Amino acid sequence: MPGCPRLLKEYKELSTAKPDPEIELKLTDEADIYQWTAKLQGPAGSPYEGGRFELKIVCLPTYPLAPPKVTFTTPVFHPNVLYKTGEICLDILKPEAWTPAWTLQSVCRAVAALLSHPEADSPLNCDCGNLIRSGDMRGYRSMARMYTAMHAGGNGS
Amino acid sequence: MADDEDMEVEKDTGGDSKQRFVVKKWNAVTFWSWDICTDTCAICRNKLYEPSIEAQANPGIADDAGYSIAWGCCGHVFHLDCISRWLKTRSVCPLCNREWEFAKIEKIATYGNLD
Repeated sequence: MPGCPRLLKEYKELSTAKPDPEIELKLTDEADIYQWTAKLQGPAGSPYEGGRFELKIVCLPTYPLAPPKVTFTTPVFHPNVLYKTGEICLDILKPEAWTPAWTLQSVCRAVAALLSHPEADSPLNCDCGNLIRSGDMRGYRSMARMYTAMHAGGNGS
Repeated sequence: MADDEDMEVEKDTGGDSKQRFVVKKWNAVTFWSWDICTDTCAICRNKLYEPSIEAQANPGIADDAGYSIAWGCCGHVFHLDCISRWLKTRSVCPLCNREWEFAKIEKIATYGNLD
């Protein structure tokens, strides 16, 4: 499996480390070190709790000098996620804020933290952002729970 | 303290040359660490006392940079080739985002002895 030595290193670290109950991070195809799939548990206390969200992670050969491209493949109702494509608006995934000190594992943790802390001032999902900006947290949480139940296996309660 | 005990042993044996106990084995244990807060290069994730991951992967073309470590004025440390490559992308410390300035560069002393 030739390719980016840093990704090989992360692969080895992940295969020997204690599994993280909230983040399952695997190669999408064992023959391709650049494509990864992550499954995140919806964070406790968030309206995504009980759901399982899949992420597609694609690294460039220049990783870790360039950030990985991370998208949700499970539809998620969140102000910083474009519902149709799963595109994520998160500063550390942009070249202006990315640094090579991040790992795929810590990127997944950052995405999980974004689920718990929606940032309504930079919305990709305007309907969702507007609910939060207008102060209707109850409406936002109830919508997010409904979508979690519909697409991510959450129980909607 | 140690001297007192030695004398005590002498007295108890009444000047007899037979020793009450003999040190047969001595296991010395030492702990050491770098005077830096981490021993891993955050860019390649290899230890800072071994060559960078690029130098390891391409031993033929390696120049000194993969066998040297660089301190920034912020106090963070990386392999010289790792930080040099990153600085072409963005001129900040990968760990604290402060503008990067080299404080010092040193060669890794013992890389030849590591497995």
